[in-house]
Amino acid sequence: MNEKPIVVVGAGHAGVHVATRLVELGWSGPTVLVDAEGTVPYERPPLSKDLLTESAPSAPPPLRRESYYLDKGIQTMLGVTAMAIDPEEGAVRLSDGGALPFHRLVLATGSTARTLPIPGANLEGVQFLKTLDDSQTLRNRLTPGTRVVVVGAGYIGMEVAAAAAKLGCDTTVLEFQDRVMSRVTSPVVSEHFRKLHEEHGVRFVFGAQASRFEGADHVTAVHTSDGMEYPADLVVIGVGVVPNQKLAEDAGLECSDGIMVDNHGRTSNPLIYAAGDVTRFQCPWEGVSRRLECVQNALAQADAVARHILGAPAKEPEIPWFWTIQHGVRLQTAGIRDPDDLAVVRGEPATGKFSILYLRNGDKLAAIDTVHSLSDFAAGKRLIAAGSHIDPIHAADPNVKLTQVAASMS
Amino acid sequence: MSKPIINVADREGYLHTLEWEPDTTLMETIRDNDLPILASCGGTASCATCHVYVQPKDNEQLASRSEDEDELLGETEAFRECESRLSCQIRFNPVLVGSTITLAPEE
Ligand SMILES: Cc1cc2nc3c(=O)[nH]c(=O)nc-3n(C[C@H](O)[C@H](O)[C@H](O)COP(=O)(O)OP(=O)(O)OC[C@H]3O[C@@H](n4cnc5c(N)ncnc54)[C@H](O)[C@@H]3O)c2cc1C
Ligand code: FES
Repeated sequence: MNEKPIVVVGAGHAGVHVATRLVELGWSGPTVLVDAEGTVPYERPPLSKDLLTESAPSAPPPLRRESYYLDKGIQTMLGVTAMAIDPEEGAVRLSDGGALPFHRLVLATGSTARTLPIPGANLEGVQFLKTLDDSQTLRNRLTPGTRVVVVGAGYIGMEVAAAAAKLGCDTTVLEFQDRVMSRVTSPVVSEHFRKLHEEHGVRFVFGAQASRFEGADHVTAVHTSDGMEYPADLVVIGVGVVPNQKLAEDAGLECSDGIMVDNHGRTSNPLIYAAGDVTRFQCPWEGVSRRLECVQNALAQADAVARHILGAPAKEPEIPWFWTIQHGVRLQTAGIRDPDDLAVVRGEPATGKFSILYLRNGDKLAAIDTVHSLSDFAAGKRLIAAGSHIDPIHAADPNVKLTQVAASMS
Repeated sequence: MSKPIINVADREGYLHTLEWEPDTTLMETIRDNDLPILASCGGTASCATCHVYVQPKDNEQLASRSEDEDELLGETEAFRECESRLSCQIRFNPVLVGSTITLAPEE
């Protein structure tokens, strides 16, 4: 009988899934799940989607029903922060004064919204969107006529802009790059979403770098480095995230913009694992190291960690994928595109239903972006995993199924 | 009164009888009872990991698949025209109480 528990710090997608998989894979020892947030662990994606626009305030769906943890013998410590790891003792120190000795430790501490180091960043009305609290505050502030300035046209900024426009706010998005969602998609898709937002009344300013927030105690305007001023009652900053790696760093674990892990989620300390947004890992397909901020990655890494702790065989790496919904239009991507890939447009963007295939070295399907086209998403994801080759000309015809296009090449 | 139940056949063929809380979806009931469905998208018809087979006679009585559901499932290898459903899109439904559904193979 193992006396010491497996301690999981962080009860987001990654942490909860580690605990769940441990139970499912037959772990009979104790498991403790610690999270600084005091709420029943919940889904984050709805925070910037449905939850912002629902007429009555509602809670995001819980990751598991509340009674689940107790039923499965998972001890939760919600509202408790892990303060430090003592690697010699093999224990975590907690904010409630206690110390938890661990059999194994899993760090699933996620990420924090990146801040802007500019004057006025602490003014009332300047906010981020990461937690349930953030989402509820934002929802209450998105009232008709409110002047909302979103800094950053990443997917979270774009989802917030969509919600703000829907709720009748006067909405402006400031983006430093020359197009929206430039980190996650190609220019054709960026164009499509820019137009979609503009049709709903959202304004975009590209090449805009916020340099100062103005206001006595509440924000009244955003200034940009080119001397422009944008009046604002509410500012939402969506300029990426930074991994919550302090615990790991202080304990001497190898970190480099993320806790470094291998494909089993092992850190540089054999008793400590990490999973989810907080990690950086060697990408199995491209040989480069990367962080990924998506549910798919959090769940896959959590599964790998639970398997490795219990000595269960590892699974094949999964193709990363992601979704976002803006003005009711769904963008789903699979695989990781490279700017050097050949981008093939499949279908006519003006119809509102199309895909972009990213072909590496001419014909190998490496990634796909699909707009309102889940059949291409489902087929594409499978073909990417299979390492399929695709004829670019054939693939551009939306009337031929993607699977047929691939079959004709083999 | 006895609680509503649903029978779920897992991928090894074992049958599990689960209580179905009327305010939950079929996906939530399956997931929270330790059956191996990932439900990564949290029930937003984005992932297809909650794919189940509903017997045709029962499926006929449910609302038909939405366009998203149809597209997502139609391209999975395990798709069955008359039986495939995303369990996250099935809210509690007396039609299904007491019946048996089957987890589709993992992709
Ligand atoms: C608004 C929003 C929308 C999103 N939409 C999508 C989407 O549509 N699709 C998608 O795939 N992904 C989306 N994501 C990203 C996705 O939610 C994350 O990739 C995923 O939740 C990561 O899970 P995680 O467990 O690694 O981290 P988190 O979910 O961030 O969980 C980390 C947890 O650790 C806790 N914690 C941190 N430090 C400590 C400590 N020292 N002690 C105790 N607890 C601690 C935190 O309180 C937190 O609860 C979205 C994210 C946000 C914020
Ligand atoms: S849970 Fe993702 S499609 Fe049902």
